Amino acid sequence: MSIYGNAVKRPITTIMIFVALLVMGGYSLNKLPIDFYPDIDFPAISVITTYAGASAADIETNVTRTIEDGLNSVGNLKNITSTSRDNMSIVVCEFEWGTNLDEASNEMRDGISFIETFLPEEVEKPMLFKFSSSAMPVLFYGVTADESFEAIANILDEKVVNPLNRIDGVGSVGLMGAPGREIQVDIDPRKMESYNISVEMIAGVLNAENLNLPAGNLEMGMMDYPLRVKGEFPSSDVLDDIVLASFNGQTVYLSDVATVRDTIRDTSLDERLNGKTGMRIVIQKQSGANTVQVCQDINAMMPELIKSLPDDIEITTFWDSSLFISESINNLSNTLMYAAIAVVLVVLFFLGRWRATFIVILTIPISLIVSFIYLYISGSSINIIALSSLSIAIGMVVDDAIVVLENITKHVERGARPREAAIYATNEVWLAVIVTTLTVVAVFLPLTLIGGMTGELFRPLGYIVTITVVTSTISAITLTPMLASKMMKLRKKPEKVRAISYDNIIGRFLNSLDGFYSRTLKLALRFRWGTLIIAFVIFLLSMMMAGGMGFQFMPEADQGSMTAAIELQTGLRVDETTKVARKIDAFIEENMPEAKFYYTSSGSDDQGGFMSLFMETGSHRININFTLTDLETRNRNVWDLSNMLTEYLETIPEIVTFDVVPNGGMGGTTENNVVLEIYGYDFETTSLIANALADSVSTIEGATNVNVSRDPSKPQLQIVPDREKMAQHGLNTYTLANSVRNRVEGPYMSRYREEGEEYDIVVRFVEEERSSLSNLNDIALMNMQNQVIRLGEVADIEEHWSPPNIERKNRERMVTVSITPYKVPLSVMAEQVQAKINQMDIPSDVNLQMGGAVEDMQESMKDLMLLLLLSLILTYLVMASQFESLKMPFIIMFSIPFAFTGVVLAHVVTGTTMNVISMVGGVMLVGIVVKNAIVLVDYINLTRARGVELKEAIVESGKSRLRPVLMTSLTTILAMLPLALSTGSGSEIWSPMGIAVIGGLIFSTIVTLVLVPVVYHMMLRKSDARKVKTEYDFMNGTGEGNPENN
Amino acid sequence: MKAVFIVYNQAQTEKVEYLFEKLKIRGFTRWTDLTGRGSVDGPPHMNTHTWPEQNTARMAVMEDETVKAVLEGIKKLDEENTDVGIRAFVWDIVDYY
Repeated sequence: MSIYGNAVKRPITTIMIFVALLVMGGYSLNKLPIDFYPDIDFPAISVITTYAGASAADIETNVTRTIEDGLNSVGNLKNITSTSRDNMSIVVCEFEWGTNLDEASNEMRDGISFIETFLPEEVEKPMLFKFSSSAMPVLFYGVTADESFEAIANILDEKVVNPLNRIDGVGSVGLMGAPGREIQVDIDPRKMESYNISVEMIAGVLNAENLNLPAGNLEMGMMDYPLRVKGEFPSSDVLDDIVLASFNGQTVYLSDVATVRDTIRDTSLDERLNGKTGMRIVIQKQSGANTVQVCQDINAMMPELIKSLPDDIEITTFWDSSLFISESINNLSNTLMYAAIAVVLVVLFFLGRWRATFIVILTIPISLIVSFIYLYISGSSINIIALSSLSIAIGMVVDDAIVVLENITKHVERGARPREAAIYATNEVWLAVIVTTLTVVAVFLPLTLIGGMTGELFRPLGYIVTITVVTSTISAITLTPMLASKMMKLRKKPEKVRAISYDNIIGRFLNSLDGFYSRTLKLALRFRWGTLIIAFVIFLLSMMMAGGMGFQFMPEADQGSMTAAIELQTGLRVDETTKVARKIDAFIEENMPEAKFYYTSSGSDDQGGFMSLFMETGSHRININFTLTDLETRNRNVWDLSNMLTEYLETIPEIVTFDVVPNGGMGGTTENNVVLEIYGYDFETTSLIANALADSVSTIEGATNVNVSRDPSKPQLQIVPDREKMAQHGLNTYTLANSVRNRVEGPYMSRYREEGEEYDIVVRFVEEERSSLSNLNDIALMNMQNQVIRLGEVADIEEHWSPPNIERKNRERMVTVSITPYKVPLSVMAEQVQAKINQMDIPSDVNLQMGGAVEDMQESMKDLMLLLLLSLILTYLVMASQFESLKMPFIIMFSIPFAFTGVVLAHVVTGTTMNVISMVGGVMLVGIVVKNAIVLVDYINLTRARGVELKEAIVESGKSRLRPVLMTSLTTILAMLPLALSTGSGSEIWSPMGIAVIGGLIFSTIVTLVLVPVVYHMMLRKSDARKVKTEYDFMNGTGEGNPENN
Repeated sequence: MKAVFIVYNQAQTEKVEYLFEKLKIRGFTRWTDLTGRGSVDGPPHMNTHTWPEQNTARMAVMEDETVKAVLEGIKKLDEENTDVGIRAFVWDIVDYY
């Protein structure tokens, strides 16, 4: 017995199976995490190596190059880039998308172990760092305080950080910009020298005093006592009374030569929240934890924690990644609901019966919920790609059920019992239903095969649509007939048509529509060539329009955040930098009410911290992070604001360069920028070219944020020892370097302990004695004979300029110029930049290449073209086997180019630019559009086979198939409409797909209804005439097979 | 004794079964999934894409007086909707075991 026969005969089993699906789907839905994008991690692994004291150039030759050589043979490697900075080398291996990063990191470890022996001895072990988007902070809190500020780190640690750490899914909670306690011993060099003491001696004494040591066991009587010497400083006050030496019979205490201060760390970092002193609490989630859930839990706990804090401490949510995610997801869920309502209305409109509509729309929840099971099993999440896939699928899942139900209705109306009608009617159409589904699958399944980032993003889309559509087909041939057999009734024709009824209003309207269409079709068939030429001209015009349109890579969403990285004159002191920062703060306060929070940090945290991996800090840098108010409440979008800030920053003379990134910050989308990569060994030549290029491209209209990646050279003071003089005084470079370091930076010291916490003790010259060149020259060096020699006597101090960073890509030195287009499509900007390059005179040993989003865009385009080709071939294969004809698929595919015409027109009408997302929409159209034409052509074939003459068959079939074609098109179009129209958070990303599909579908439906019949007529007219002369004409003795004719 | 051969659109199966039950005819032979075409009009039942419907045939041997009731029932059934299609043909049974 067939599957549908069984389904009808065993209704309970059928219902149970589908209820089981619903239960499993519901369970999965409940368990699924919510995220913005599917879990895609940028496939890159960095190798970080530190080599203390080496300059950028040293690092490049000794460390970076060696490591690059070792890593070059790792499989699947796409690019290898590196940055060599003072003290540090960072090599980043970028892999092809979809590479297994665990295997790759193993290979990298092998590669490194092979070259490790070639690295200089002082180099620390290279560290592998796998960048993962789940390591990005999910939540930032801003903290401001007045009197409690000095102790804030301890208060927060105890009252906030620890409780938060206990929440499930919280990876780490960090404090940024918190003042740390430190014991400072500021030495007065004059006093110190007069007692004949050196810094090293003081450090030695302090280290030797600040000790707790075990001293063995003492057995006394029956007891065994462990012995301990307790010398650790019980409080910071005792430092003053430490005896350093004896001078002329007099005891010298530490307080005689230095001031001891128990104070907060001398930071070179100034952090302000909305212009007030503040700090940040940074929260990371555990890898794999649900961002939205974690943030919700934290936010729920926070008010209670805040209550336990002193009154002057204020904590505000500065940035919450879950907000944008949950808003976008809510938005899309609403979209999905509107889509479902639209589909229900369309079905009801065309069928005009509640029961039938109910049976048909029941396929929607069933097919959609199966995709949640898929998401759960594949370990994915509910994200915008998954939800927009459902939006696309929702209009298609009802199609099969409609076809089956229509045929059942036909049988019931002819008098069959619903049970039988259900079985036999399904038997008649089930194969056709499966084949049309196959054409859709032929388009969506290849989506899972494409590579690159587009592939990573759209793989779920391919799977989800395939799964939902296949489920809907299965449901259409099991559940639909089963329900029809139970619910359908023979409807008696009402004797009198009521004035307000379905038949009188909608029925009449549909009938007149049928009439209008058949007249149009007759006209088109009479003027076949005219119709064809008009269609062709429209297509050509639209393609010309497409040529003039710009392309973007990914549509950018206004995520309500923005960052600005500002760089002043290199080597500038923090106080000076802070002054500029305050000026910018004032500007923001006055002119940008849209900034809900802004966080300004100038200088760098000497404690380093993980944030230095994400942004560059330095005494001359200012970083500002903005959180904007809700999208709905502001008139200016993030791009307008960033442009305004850019214009303001250009007016500040102190600023050397700056980079304002709209949507920057944590987990932002890919930026649409053009990056020019300039390769060449010589720093001067490449820097010159880079700067010249930057100047010339900034004149292009819409080019903003033009940035050269190589920082201007940094001033450096070099102490050049005179070896001969040193030798005369019994000194060497090592003692000289150490002495200078101990006086300026401070020697290694033991730490002060209090209540389980450790604090640094810093012993060095008082600040006034280490802030000028003459101070340096005055530094006293002591030789073995305890003679004092001034530094100025044995060394010269020179000022030098050195590049602070050296970038390399694929083992060649590189400098990049990046340009962010504002209100200009990416492809247009790329063309203009290329034109500027062509005007320039580039030396032969310098290489130029276009990178950034442009490169990604071109790669994605290539992938998508390949995908389009693959989809076209597959649909042709499916259709050719369905019709058992090579000609029919060709006729049907005539509607495809016009789908693209529709896509172009839709973009022109809505004033949006094409991007990768709308192109994916275009590829999907192939499957959706073809389905309509199949319905029509199949029915024309059928009518002709039943003996109707060609032209009449076309008109009759057209009239009879108008409603199903309109119905399938309208369900898809209306289901996508909420997607295209939505304006909420994140809508910029998915609305292009809705626009593309709607435009393409409207246009191609019209074409399908008019042009496809015309082409059908033109292609089959001749073959029809030929049929008359049949091979089997043996009765008349005239046929080919007649021996008399041969 | 006569043999009645009934060919009908398979969508009529339950109604024919009901007829047999009503007339208390026990014995029959049935063929399913058959194809054919009527001599005068009505759509062919060919199990093809063009003519997707199929027939079922039923042969029953019965006493002469039952035949009339069967034919009457079949006629009523056919008149419900002539497009669906049902026909009955009667043979004489010469001998049987």
